Amino acid sequence: MDIIVKSVSRILFPFILLLGVYIAVHGHLGPGGAFPAGAVIATGFALLVIAYTEADVEHELTRHELIDMKSVAGIILVVLILNIGYVSRFDIISTQTLSEFWSGGFTPLLNFAGMFMVITALVMIIYTMMRE
Amino acid sequence: MRRIVAAVLVIYLGLFIFMGLASLPAYGSFEDKYVAEYYLHKGVLNTGSVNLVNAIIWDFRGYDTLGEETVLFAAAMGVFLVVRRKEYGHYRKKRV
Repeated sequence: MDIIVKSVSRILFPFILLLGVYIAVHGHLGPGGAFPAGAVIATGFALLVIAYTEADVEHELTRHELIDMKSVAGIILVVLILNIGYVSRFDIISTQTLSEFWSGGFTPLLNFAGMFMVITALVMIIYTMMRE
Repeated sequence: MRRIVAAVLVIYLGLFIFMGLASLPAYGSFEDKYVAEYYLHKGVLNTGSVNLVNAIIWDFRGYDTLGEETVLFAAAMGVFLVVRRKEYGHYRKKRV
């Protein structure tokens, strides 16, 4: 691709990541959540893949690393959801104040882990489609 | 014989579905909205998160979302396993 596209996408990419993480961790306070955040960050990866080549991006973030991230996020999700359902949901909510950042039980952590699930799935699909 | 069995099964299934549908509230009626009213009135108190959509997704229907994430996991795993090659590119990292 052109040098302008490469430079602009390289500069924009951290801000896209920041926006996605913001959408994820403020999902319990405003519009947003895990799925929009994951879609935003995967769009940033799609920008990188288009501006550079797929092999360059995959050199930095391999498929094996994607699968590792996805597995860890999935384990966190399973543990937290089972925990919310049965064990310590009301104990934690009763110690928090409403509409502050650390509120809503484990919802910020759940949003964060769910963001990783969506990112890894979409980036895997982007890699595969760009390589074909 | 198979036709009779099939007809009996179809009639039984149709009755089952009809009974299930008949007990639903009428289309567009505002009665029997117990779950929606509960979410609206008690959702913030029970979950502590101000965004009610997020509360429903991650808290009231947490198991549903867990299944959804399982679908995502299975999709990514399928892509990873089916579409892979022995060697892709010259950039392949060594796994330790």
